[in-house]
Amino acid sequence: MSNDLKKLNSMMLRLLMLVLLLCIMPNAMAQEEDDSEEDSPDIVLRGDGKCTKCHDETSDYPVFAIGKTKHGTVADSRTPTCTSCHGESDQHINNEETMPPMPSRTFGKNSTTPILERNQACLDCHQGGKRMNWIGSAHANRDIACTSCHQIHTDRDRVRDKMTQSETCFACHKEQRAQINRPSRHPIREGKVVCSDCHNPHGSAGPSMTVRDSVNETCFTCHMEKRGPFIYNHPPAQENCAICHNPHGTTAPNLLKVRSPFLCQECHEPNTHQSSLGTITGAYARNTLARGCMNCHTNIHGSNNPENVRNEGLFQR
Amino acid sequence: MKLPFSFQIKVAATLLIIASSVWAEQDENIKRLTKPQSTINFGAGYLFNDNARFGQFNGLRDDGFYGIFNLDIVRRNDDTGTWFKLQGRNLGFKNRDIRLEHSRQGNWGYFFEFSQTPRYEPFTANTAVGGIGSSELQVPTTPTAGGPEHLKTERESFAFGINKFLPANLELQLHFKNEDKDGARIFGRGNRLGPPGPTAVGGYEFLPEPINYTTRIFGATLNYNGKDLQLSGGYYGTLFENKNKALTTTGGSSVGGIFAPGLFTPIALPPDNQAHQAFLSGGYSFNPHTRGTFKASYTIASQTDGFFPTQLAAPGAPSNLHGKVDTTLVQAALTSRPLSKLNLLANFRYEDREDKTPVFLYNPNAFNVDLNGNRWTGFNTPRSFRTFTNKFEASYALPMNLRLIGGIDYEHWDRTGTPQTTGHRNSTDELSGRVELRRSLAETLTGTISYIHSDRWGSHFLTQTTATGQPFFNLIAPINLADRNRDKVRLLLNWEPFEPLSVQAAVDHSWDDYNGDRNNSGFGMQKGIARNYSLDAVYTFSENLQANAWFSRNETQIDQASRTPAPRVPWSVKLENLSTSFGVGINGKPHEKLDIGTNITYSEITDKFKQSIVEVDCCPGNTPVPDIKFKQGRWNLFARYALQKNLGLRLDYILDYFRTNEWTWSGWTYTDGTRLIQDQNQWVNFLGISAYINWQ
Repeated sequence: MSNDLKKLNSMMLRLLMLVLLLCIMPNAMAQEEDDSEEDSPDIVLRGDGKCTKCHDETSDYPVFAIGKTKHGTVADSRTPTCTSCHGESDQHINNEETMPPMPSRTFGKNSTTPILERNQACLDCHQGGKRMNWIGSAHANRDIACTSCHQIHTDRDRVRDKMTQSETCFACHKEQRAQINRPSRHPIREGKVVCSDCHNPHGSAGPSMTVRDSVNETCFTCHMEKRGPFIYNHPPAQENCAICHNPHGTTAPNLLKVRSPFLCQECHEPNTHQSSLGTITGAYARNTLARGCMNCHTNIHGSNNPENVRNEGLFQR
Repeated sequence: MKLPFSFQIKVAATLLIIASSVWAEQDENIKRLTKPQSTINFGAGYLFNDNARFGQFNGLRDDGFYGIFNLDIVRRNDDTGTWFKLQGRNLGFKNRDIRLEHSRQGNWGYFFEFSQTPRYEPFTANTAVGGIGSSELQVPTTPTAGGPEHLKTERESFAFGINKFLPANLELQLHFKNEDKDGARIFGRGNRLGPPGPTAVGGYEFLPEPINYTTRIFGATLNYNGKDLQLSGGYYGTLFENKNKALTTTGGSSVGGIFAPGLFTPIALPPDNQAHQAFLSGGYSFNPHTRGTFKASYTIASQTDGFFPTQLAAPGAPSNLHGKVDTTLVQAALTSRPLSKLNLLANFRYEDREDKTPVFLYNPNAFNVDLNGNRWTGFNTPRSFRTFTNKFEASYALPMNLRLIGGIDYEHWDRTGTPQTTGHRNSTDELSGRVELRRSLAETLTGTISYIHSDRWGSHFLTQTTATGQPFFNLIAPINLADRNRDKVRLLLNWEPFEPLSVQAAVDHSWDDYNGDRNNSGFGMQKGIARNYSLDAVYTFSENLQANAWFSRNETQIDQASRTPAPRVPWSVKLENLSTSFGVGINGKPHEKLDIGTNITYSEITDKFKQSIVEVDCCPGNTPVPDIKFKQGRWNLFARYALQKNLGLRLDYILDYFRTNEWTWSGWTYTDGTRLIQDQNQWVNFLGISAYINWQ
């Protein structure tokens, strides 16, 4: 009886081990050994097994990091599969060669996929909201691909990080790269003002793709005290801040394009003191030093002073 | 051979352990690679030098220790797609940001955000003016030496927003932002102290402007995102509130009789104002090749802030401006690809900014003869604008991945208003034509060359007159209204001569030819030239080591002319801004535990003021405006060493350099004795050591 019991125990143990091994081994070894498409498990996205069986972290094109992103949040049923963006790519997938043909749609710098087609892959989901005006925008018309600026397979898309966004923009906008280092500037280097605070790179109804409908309305989002209207309005300040200011950086104070009195002399008649030479000594140094013309015309954007004293239209108080 | 049962057990157990550990390790690896990661970074930094420029926007101005604290906590519930994010940056500095975000992706979300932005005035004011920061200043009546004041303003903003996806492809978004800005900034008052003349003496006083603003921006947007049709409509509101209505002073100079600076009180400060906008924008894809977009908005802006009490109000003047500006915007665009090689774009934009502010006589005194013998009107000056902007563009694909693009832009402005001290014309038109040849999708060489020509012209200039109808000079066409021809050439080349190296060269030149004079005066804007050259290179030594370098040369030149005060000698000036900048950077991972990166940027900028004459009989004692030079550079270095898988140390070093001979304030003393100074040679060293912890 005890021998029978021992045999039974032994048999049960072996069966148990066999079951455990059968259960565990396929899971453990599947990713290393099983090359069949049907058995490749999904790692990140729905149906990505046929891709991740090759594109793991040892691949030249690793893709796992997309799992950290919103695209990799599969609980959201709207999120894409690999083939939503890269196409079905049958020839790429069903090819045993070491250098298979490229996927149907690629996005790298040497991609031969037409840019319209690349961007359409993004626009299929991201056409609304702030990207409504992409088609027809200056960037779209200059063959800028979404992936020229955005990194999709990473949780740290540099253009969406305030500290690094400007580097992406400066890849093309070289003049602005130099201007943000000028003595009078916005705090762009500190990441407190970024390009997308003023510009919508996906297109807008405003000039120069400003986030609001006009240059001034964009500036007013932070400098609303200049909006007025005032009793006495300085016409260029109402028309376009950029007549006098360069928001990307200048050597003249307060982002002025040119120093006083030269800036003011671009519009004002040579009556008396307005047309003085630039000088740092003598009576007319008052037009050049310190705040220049604004030493007297202090409320230069406009004055709301109702006082009935002399000519207050000169913005002196 | 029959193996003992105990041996079979050991073999099976070993296999089981190996399999389990392989499985567990792979599971851990996959989790590390696919799940969001959180990081906390904390430590301390030491600033070795007091400075005014480096710390202008981050508060790192006074030497000493500063805390380093950054956090980036990200959690995701994979079952529900619910994210929790808490991100804090520069929490130990004065330019801190913190944002909390909680959302169920594709369903709902909300966020809270706090941001602090200081701005320190880079000049130190040595002043005896009292009450700085308030709206009531005490100004010395005679020049008085004072102590140092470091003016600053600081913005603190708090924002929150909510979004909710609704059935039928709808999404509702609500947002609100409140920003307080407090502090004081450079401001002042001044006047000549008597009739105009070449040696007229002036009085100028330093009156820091009190800043105590609140700005609120809020709105609601309902988005519809269909396959072909997208719509976005809603409300956008903005409110500005200034706690200080006017700046009043006591004291101040009484020299100059009725023109004495001390009498220039109160000084108006920016009034409260608000705007409310309703908007609707949309896009519709008629077919895969044709899409239309539009935006329509209507904005009502008003300024009804009550005037500050005054004993000198004009009879019949209202208690506030009753300012009202209504703006209508209509914009529409159509893009189409009628042929596989041909793209067409048409864009139309119309904006009508109608200033409906009622006109009152605020200042009968303006009719009195001024210091120059002129009389002016004392009515308020509402101005309206109407703009039409049209754009048409066609592009055609050529062989060899080339594309030829041609476009025409047209802009028309209508302006109301009457000329007084500057020229005015009721309308301007600008027509631009451009042609561009672009090569893309090629492996080694891509680029663009383009040429743009534009002409601006307008209606006749209205004759400027004083209140008595006397012509007032009419010699200069303002820069934004003057006739102008502009030519611009752009070249951009991207070249990858071999795999690890990519080079980018960009050149653009533009020439502006103004007709800035009127009545053949020869004054006003004459010419403008801009030249920009840049060269960038990136070299990838390996996956773990990349280097980049760039160089830029930027030059602008403006030629303009005027004439001196009596005896009215014509003069001209060539204003040049010359800038040379470069940067070099390298980033790498020389060891699996070590990340390093460093970059250097350097700029030299020179402003030149080439005046045709320096001295005229009218105005003795002139000194030519000296060139202004700025040199600034920065060296950043960081190294990150992993002590363990999820724990490491980070070192940051910054060397910042600023040097200038700027004379803006160095030769100036206010009548009250105030002087502004800056250290013209600033070297700053900052060293930070911090630890970071990652987890998932």
